[in-house]
This record gives sequence, C-alpha cells and structure tokens, in this order.
Amino acid sequence: MGRMAVDIGGTFTDLVHFDDQTGALVAEKSLTTPKDLTNGVLNSIKLADIESETITFFVHGGTTVINAITERKGAKTALITTKGFRDVLEIARGNRPDLYNLRFQKPKPFVPRRLRFEVEERLDASGNIIKPLSIKELEDIVKICISENVEAIAVVFLHSYSSPQHEIICAEYLRKNLPDISITASHEITREWREYERANTAVLNAYVQPTVQKYFNRLQSTLLKQGFNCPMHAMQSNGGSASFTWAKSHPITLVESGPSAGVNAAALVGSLCKEDNVIYLDIGGTTAKCSVIKNNQIDVTTEYKLEWSRINPGYPVKVPVVDIVEIGTGGGSIAWFDEVGSLKVGPVSAGAEPGPACYSQGGSKPTVTDAKLITGVLDPDYFAGGRIKLDIQKAKKAMETIAKGLNTDVISAAESVIRLADADMINALKLISIQRGHDPRDFVLVVGGGGGAMHAATLGRDLGVREVIVPRYPGYFSAWGMLATEPRRDFVMTHLMRADKIRIGNIKNIFDELRNESYSYFKTDKDIVSSSIRLEARIDLRYQGQEHWVGVPVNINSISIDKLIDDFHVEHERTYTFKLDNSPIELVNFHLTATASVPRPHLNEISSDNINILKGRRRVLFSEDGEHETQVLDRESLPAGYIAKGPLLIEEKSATTLIHPGQKLRVDEIGFLHIS
Amino acid sequence: MSENSYRSTVPDLVTHEIIRGKLLAAADEMGIVIARCSMSPVIYEVLDFACGVCDPRGQLIVQTNGITLFTGTFGLQVKSILRRFADDIKPGDVFMTNDPFDGGTHTCDIALIKPVFINDNLEAFAIAVAHWSEVGGAVAGSISPSATEIYQEGIRFPGLRVCRDDIVQQDILELIRENTRLPTMCIGDFNAELAAVRIAETRLREIFDKYGSEVVRDTYSYILDSSELLSLQAIKQLPNGIYYANDYVDGDGITNEQIPVCAEVRISDDKMTFDFTGSSPQRDGPINCAYGALSSAVKTVFKALVDPQGPSNEGWFRPLTIICPEGTIFTATKPAPTGWYYEGSAQASELVWRALAELAPDKLSAGSYMSLCGAYFFGEDPSTKEMFVHIEPAIGGWGAQSNCDGTGALIATTDGDTYNYSIELFEAKFPLRINKYALNTEGGVGAGRWRGGFGVIREFEVLINGAHTYCSFGRNIETPWGLMGGKNGSLNYMEIVSGDSVERISRISHKDLNSGDLVRIVTGGGGGFGKPYKRPVKEVQEDFLDGYINKETAEKDFGVSLDENGNVDSNLTATLRLGDH
Repeated sequence: MGRMAVDIGGTFTDLVHFDDQTGALVAEKSLTTPKDLTNGVLNSIKLADIESETITFFVHGGTTVINAITERKGAKTALITTKGFRDVLEIARGNRPDLYNLRFQKPKPFVPRRLRFEVEERLDASGNIIKPLSIKELEDIVKICISENVEAIAVVFLHSYSSPQHEIICAEYLRKNLPDISITASHEITREWREYERANTAVLNAYVQPTVQKYFNRLQSTLLKQGFNCPMHAMQSNGGSASFTWAKSHPITLVESGPSAGVNAAALVGSLCKEDNVIYLDIGGTTAKCSVIKNNQIDVTTEYKLEWSRINPGYPVKVPVVDIVEIGTGGGSIAWFDEVGSLKVGPVSAGAEPGPACYSQGGSKPTVTDAKLITGVLDPDYFAGGRIKLDIQKAKKAMETIAKGLNTDVISAAESVIRLADADMINALKLISIQRGHDPRDFVLVVGGGGGAMHAATLGRDLGVREVIVPRYPGYFSAWGMLATEPRRDFVMTHLMRADKIRIGNIKNIFDELRNESYSYFKTDKDIVSSSIRLEARIDLRYQGQEHWVGVPVNINSISIDKLIDDFHVEHERTYTFKLDNSPIELVNFHLTATASVPRPHLNEISSDNINILKGRRRVLFSEDGEHETQVLDRESLPAGYIAKGPLLIEEKSATTLIHPGQKLRVDEIGFLHIS
Repeated sequence: MSENSYRSTVPDLVTHEIIRGKLLAAADEMGIVIARCSMSPVIYEVLDFACGVCDPRGQLIVQTNGITLFTGTFGLQVKSILRRFADDIKPGDVFMTNDPFDGGTHTCDIALIKPVFINDNLEAFAIAVAHWSEVGGAVAGSISPSATEIYQEGIRFPGLRVCRDDIVQQDILELIRENTRLPTMCIGDFNAELAAVRIAETRLREIFDKYGSEVVRDTYSYILDSSELLSLQAIKQLPNGIYYANDYVDGDGITNEQIPVCAEVRISDDKMTFDFTGSSPQRDGPINCAYGALSSAVKTVFKALVDPQGPSNEGWFRPLTIICPEGTIFTATKPAPTGWYYEGSAQASELVWRALAELAPDKLSAGSYMSLCGAYFFGEDPSTKEMFVHIEPAIGGWGAQSNCDGTGALIATTDGDTYNYSIELFEAKFPLRINKYALNTEGGVGAGRWRGGFGVIREFEVLINGAHTYCSFGRNIETPWGLMGGKNGSLNYMEIVSGDSVERISRISHKDLNSGDLVRIVTGGGGGFGKPYKRPVKEVQEDFLDGYINKETAEKDFGVSLDENGNVDSNLTATLRLGDH
C-alpha cells in the first residue's frame, strides 16, 4: 500500500511514491506534455513502475488554474451584482501604487462591462433585507447570457459575507435555469467583507472553473481506467488538499498550489527535525520565495493578490493562501548596469531559455549561476548530475562586461553579482521575519528546490538563524510536500463586534456554525478517509478605529473573553511595538482551520558507513571569507552522524550545498544536512 | 597563492548598492509600521503618509511614499529643525512639526523627526509624516473649506521637541488631547509615527555598525550623485526652450470666481527652471499651498519625466530651480489658511504637466480630473452616541495617453497608493448608505483618437438626522484639457438632494443633512488625445456596446452613426467624418 503525489511543472512532471510498509520513497521525472497533461502523468507513473491497485491516496498539483488566468484563457464570464454596483469590478480600489507614473494603467477586469448585470436587491451590513431580490430581472439576464454564449457566471451581492440569503436564491435560480453554465456565488468562496475583493475572487473562480472541471474529469477517468481506485485530491494554496470534487467547484483555491506544497514540505522537514520555527527559502530560476512557519503552523492569509507587484495593484483573491514573499532574484537573474553605471541583479532573468551563458544555449548575459560557476561553487562537469555541461569560458566572457564596468577582474565581478543577489534575498528574508516581529535566532532556515542550497549557508549566517537545513530530494521538494499533505479547509467569516458588548455565547455560536460546516464538509466527501479532524481557531481583533488586526489563537472548547483580550494586547505589542490599554477592542474575523489527520510519511534512516565520500577538491571563492581550497563531498555517500568543518561543498544530482569556512556540517540519521 | 589571496572585499560600488538596498528596506519597514499601527482611516486606508531618511544636512537619502504630496517636503522640514535647534540636537530627541510655512503642508500632516547618533556623531534623521484625522480648529476634521486664517485650522506644532532622552513629553500629549476632537486617534497616530522613526534608528544603527560611518556617508553621496546623473541625462534629451501653461483654480472656498495661475518651464541643456511668477496672490480661502507643497508638486511631475520607478531622493532634483515670489497662491505666507493645500499643489503639478505634455507624450497623459474632491461627513451616530467623522478623497478620470485610452476611476496625482473606501466597511461603520458606485458615463470623457478615462458617481443616502457635510472640489468650471487635438473632459461636483431640492456645489464649509437626503459625489472624465474622428469606428462601437457612450455621443463626438443594437451605418459615418475633428 502506498501514496502517490504528482506535481506538474512547466518543464517536468514529478512523481513521488511512498510505500507505507517499507518506507521506501521513489521519485521520477518525465517531461510535461502541455497539449494533454494527463499523458505526462501517465508517463511518470509508467517510469516509476507504480501498481495502481496499491495506491491508497493520490495528490495532484499543477498550474492549470494559474496558467488559465495568466494566459487569459478562461471562460467567457458574466457577473450579476447588486443594483448600482456593476462597475465596482472595474473601479477596483482606485489606487495608483506606481505613483510617479503619470501614464498609469489599471489591471483590466475579467468581465467586460456588457456582461456585468445588476439586479434589484439589497441587504444592510447586519444582513437585514432592505430590498428583496427581483427574480423577474434575473429572467432577462438569463436570456442574455444564453444569447451571448456565456460559459460561467459569478454572483456577488453587497453584504453577502454577513448573510448570503440573496446569493443562495440567485445561484439556485441560475443553476436550475442554466444547467450547463458554471455558477459561482461569492459566499461559497469567501465570507469576508470588502465587495471588490470578494467580487474579483468570485469572478476568477468562475473564469477558471470550466477549464479545471474538464481537466480533472479527464484525469480522473483516465486514472480510473488505469485501475486507480483511491481518493484523489488536489493540492490547494493553503498547504492542505481537497478532493477533486470540491476542487472542481472551488478551483481558485488551487491558484498557488505549487508554492504551498513547498511550504508544506518545509513544515514537514521542521517536524522531522523537531524544529517548530522554520524560515523556508526556495530559489528558482527567476525568483526566490520565502515564508515563515511558526510553532509548526504554516502562515496562511487571505490577502493574496495575483500579478501584484510594487507598481501593480494586481487582482485580490480572498482565499487562504500560504503567506509567501517573492522577489525577482533567482539563479537565472541577469546582472546589468543602469544608465549611470549602478550594478543591478534581476528582475530580468535568462530563464530556462536561453538560460545562463554557461548553459551554451545562446544566452550571453551574465547571471547568478554564471557567477557561481566562476567562483568555483558549481562543477562544470556535474551540473544536474552531469546532464548539462557548463561552459566556464562562456560564463567568464559574459561576466567581462561587469568586470569592465566595475574596473576589476572577472572573479571579483562574479563575487559582486553573488553579493548583490544575496543582499536582495536577505532583505526579503528580513521582511518576513524581523519586520514581522520574529527573532531569526529562534528559527532554522530550510531550503527547498535545487537552487537554494548554494546560497543558504551565506544567507542563514547573515540572517542569524540557528541552523540551515538542506533536506533530501531537493529536486522533488514540492511533490514531496504534496505527499505529506492533509485534507484541509479554512473557514473565515467577518463578524464585526465590540469586545465590551459581546457575550461568550456570541463567539460560541459563530464557531459552532463554522464547526458544523467543517464536519459536514468532511463527512459528505467520500474521498476523505479520516478518523480524526483537528480544529484550530483564531480570531482577528483590532483596536476600534484600526484597520489592521492581529490574529489570536483560541481554544474553542474553553473560550474566555478576558484571556482573548489579554492575548490580543500581548500580540499587538509584539507585532506593532505598542498597546492601548484603554481603547475599545473589536472582533473582526473568525477563522477555523479543519484538518483531517492522515499519517505523514517518514523517511528511512540512511547508512552510517563512511565510504568514498570525497569526490575531489577545488578552489572556491567564499565571498567575504576569501578563496579556499575546498573538499567536495558526495551527498549520496555521506553517512548518518557525519560531522565536518567548512569550507566544504556537498554535491548531488540536483543541488550543490556550500558551507563557509568556520561553519559546521552535521548529517542526521535521515540524511538531512545541518549547517551551523 | 596563499589561502586567502583573493581580495575579500568587493568594489565600493557594490557595497554602496547593498547599503542602498538596506536603507530602502528600512524606509519600507517604517511605512509598514505606520500603516499597520495607525488608527486613522486616512492613514491606513488612504496611505496619507510618507517615511524617509535624510543625511545630517537634511538632504533626502531614501523615502517611501504612500502619496506624492510629500515628495519635496522632508528635506525642508529637517532643515527647519536644524535651523531652529542648531547645536541643541541630542540623542534621544524627537521633534514634531506641522508648520506649512516651514516646509510642511497643512496642519493635519504631522511630521516626527528623530536625529540618529552613532558614537555621538549625528549621522542621519529619520522622518515620518502622516495625516491625522483631527487636529482641532473650526471644524471637525480641521480643514474648513472657508477658513480665512491658519488659526482656524487646528493646533500647530512649530518644531517642538516632543521626546527628550527617548521619553515622550507627556505635557505635549496632554496639550494634544485637550485641543483635538478625537484624542485617542491622535495619540494612536502619534505612537505609530514614533514607532516608525524608532525602528528606523534601530535599522540605521545596524547598518552603521556593519559598514562604518565613512562607508555609509559615501553611500549617501553615491545615491545622490547617481540619481542626479540620471536626471541630467533625461533633461538633455528634452529640447531647449521656454514652455508655458496657464489655467484657473475654480474658486477658493470663499468665492467661486476663477483664479488665474501660470507656469513657465525653461529648459537649457541640463537645467530646468520652473517659474510660477504671475500666478494669483495668496487667497483668503484655504486652497493656498506653501513652498514645501509647491516643491512636491514640481518634483512629482519631474520624477514622472525622468524615472517614475526609481526611489526618490534629493539627487534627482538637484538640476531643478523653482521660482515663485512670496505670497502667491503657491507660496502662501503666515497666516494664510492652507487646509486644502493639495488643491493648490495639484494645480501647480498640472501646470508643469501641461506645459511639458506635448514634449513628452510618452511620459505624460492628457489632463485629468485633478482635484482630490475631498468630502467630509460627520455627526453623532444615534445608535452609539459617538461622534463620527468620515473623510474621503474621490477617484476620477485621467487623461488619454499617446497609445491608449485614459484610465478611469483612479486617484488624483497628489495621492498614490490610496484606496477608496470599501462600501461594506463604510456601511458597517457609519450611519449612511451607499446607493450607487458607478462610472460617470453621464458626464462623459474627452473625445479623441484615444478617449479620456471615466470619473465616478458615488451616491450616499443619509440615515440619521443631524449629520453634516463639507467639501472642496476643484475643476468645477474649467474642464480637464485634451492633448494633440483631443477634446476636454468633464467636471467635478457634489450634488445634494433634499426633498424636492437639488443643489450642485463644489466648495462649501457646512451643510446640514437629514435622514433621506442624498449626497452625490460626481467626478469628471479625463481629456482626450488626438482627433476624435481618428478613433477607429470599431472602438466607438465597442464603447457603445459596453455602455460607456450612447448613440448621441458616438455620433456627435466621434462621427459614428449607430442603431440601437450597435450596428454601424457606414455611409452616414463616412459623411459625418468628412470634417477635421
């Protein structure tokens, strides 16, 4: 019996299989097949030699949702909303983050004005009916949607976060009269306030739904034909999974499934190493991503914005998404001079095509990867396990432009590029840790993906974390995280209340409602096989008048308002440096996270035999620490319990780990590298 | 080769870039602290604040802005503290100023300035400024549209030492509490700003400890010099010459008459001079701005020309000269009211923008609705018996660009990453209901090859008796200008419906509101770019199908004849389009 995870990326489809009995882990890669993704899945299953009937749980991760959005290839979508407000989707928030750009353009709404319809209906902020819903007007809208060949409809009424009654009636009516059209009512996706954000969320859900539905239906029937008869789950953006059935009606919750799997894997690494506080770092070709895991809890927010940047307001999506900070510096980032000779690294990247200059695929611009090759960190003959031969002359040639601009030699230029890239990454790591009130000394830095291992020791030291951990299988990190995933759903509801005016019963009632919803969610889904459901509750509170809140965990079986208030003051002071003892306090959002417990895969212990670990030696430039003759060790051969001092390089097929002079390496019993 | 033979340092240039990144991150962190700690919606929703670091001489090194209005004020404010306190600046001090006549903007914008000492040497100033919702004065919210002297605009802090030895002077807080209508909010905002300048000090200390004073001071010069160089290069690309624009400020709050203003921009090789001589003398009403806000206005447009995305610092602006005699509407002197200074400041930006628009159509768009169209609602909420104040700038239509239509429903130049107020949040908090929030297709936009963006209509229904409003809307007579043959846009106004009476107003100091009254905030559409008949018929048709324009507009403004279903009458259209329009 075993579990299987498949992660479909842009280039590769990764498969990881875990055998429950033997503890054996098998990982395979095959090329992604963009025309029909199911082919790539089948190919990787074949490569891994999986017997379909032994699989008890299947988790799928991929980019279908985000690709449909970024390529603007979703369904023809209409919006039905409260009379007077059809332009809310286009007006958005009116902000101009690119503030000195006097030719600013807003992101375009996903529904054109002619397909945004208004109906008579109105609730107030408490959910009372001001005007009943006009079914008569819906009849006309249905006719237009048919004649316009609309494929999906989002329904968003004002204050539906408070009471969804009108949205429910409207969605029912539409589903009955338009059975072939995907219908999304906003409250089905989010119960938080802010009409524009909720509208945009519902619209994007509707926009991708037909595509996702088709894809999952095909994949499911293909796998069934292959004899897979197990629960099938999709990786969500909140670090958990959901059944295909649920994912098909709430596809927007899958939007960041890849990064979420990575963070989930980092949390698993933390728990395997008995480390509750983890900073996760993944350095890809174009960007670096990082996230904080505190008390073994991944940080999930509903403040996510698609296509957001410092100068672009993006599209808010109010579904639970792991809180990730992404910066435009990665291994492929290009070094360049601006008009007045300041050296910059990124955000433009050489990507996979043409790639860094040393790939010899036509790239001629100097990248971070070229710099790592020039400084001796990368072995030209053992990149990706020797599959890609790196050309150091091409790297040096590309780096000459930087050397000339800095009036120095190529090696010093390469070091400069690395230092600048590291500085960008450090600023991002500080943003998610120190700037949010965390002390890095309480954390370990866990590296995911293949690119991070050669930067991690430098970054970890600069950040001041206790230890850097490089887990096994860095090239399959996301798929591995999916294997460790548990079915999970986050319930969030806005309910504005003054703390001095509530009774404990008010809070209990809300959590009872959320708890019942979560039980019925897990009960009705036949694809969730679990004996126990873990509930974690949180309330967002703020001082009256504040906009931003602080989340305070609560135990829903023994809620005490006094304790809640005390905890809030403490948490507020930790996050914002002050508290206001005499200020009235408001409760804003109620969160309940429900997770179905499933056994997490463990890893077999590695051998403690010390044979043939030394692969060779080379000279390596360690930034501030200068150049050193450095031993190169073979990762696969490193025994459990091995301890050594830097300078060191550890090589494996998908990663090179760098250890500075003065740093210590320890290999634990499951083969993870610990650098301190 | 010895074990450590390679140099272990990188070129200075690289170190400076790394320190620049750290300084920017520090300024960013200040902004995060303010936005998250503040208790005023105008700060946390409107982001009416800015943070930065100046060198010991008061030169701006790094800044993060929520809005553009503070682009030119920080250096002037730090210099005013240097002048006032000279040798009496000590570690642990924090100074507070809101003086419009000494680098500031209006009384509501309170700046906290903290000198940062490293080893007893003054190495930097951390500065944070934020708009407090209330600082006392004639009206709740403190910016009366009909104030005639600054004394009616609330309490003033002419550069006070508010902390000594890092201890807040409680007497000053007491003074604030007793002179403002929402003391809890004021003290909350004070704390937010204090937290921001303190976090900046911590970060600066880390940077100085790691790199040493000498290197960081070199980085200051590096930052300023490299930005200056970029500016010089950008100016050189503009043709030498004298460029001119004139315009009108529509009423000052006391009278509704049009007030003439003008600007001359002189470009000579790598120098640029902005001369506002000839603009109206300062007015009795509060739409005046003082030199600090004028400087922000000019620098904002200049930044758009040279490098909109580069982080702001004093170096960019070294090649600029701003000329304007004292005592004009842009250089008001004490005791002129400046409560709605951003109306004056916006107008100064527009003058410069308009003078240069044809020179740089790839950087600048046609004229916009321009005015923040600020409206206040206040009163006592009968359900809580508590006083409420709601301030909201309105978004509106921007001008068309050289290659696309103008952006609709966007905040004015003076602001930036400023959000409109969520209807659901608003209704949960205030005793008013919003009946409509829509693009202002009725008022329309400037026609052109590319048309302007649309303004908005926001209709409030008052749910209680005894509420009040006041507002100050510019561009209520003079429409947003078109560019390269594009037509002008439409006007901003407030409309109050009470029973059978419908009243249109633009700047008013007080208006009672009762249950059932409707208040409509209407903002204008931007100007067009290029001749309207050059707009492809297909695009006119699409606009009709989306309900942005009606049949009449398609025909009258664009020369396209459509039937009810949007079908084009090609013959009639060809005839209509014969003219040069």
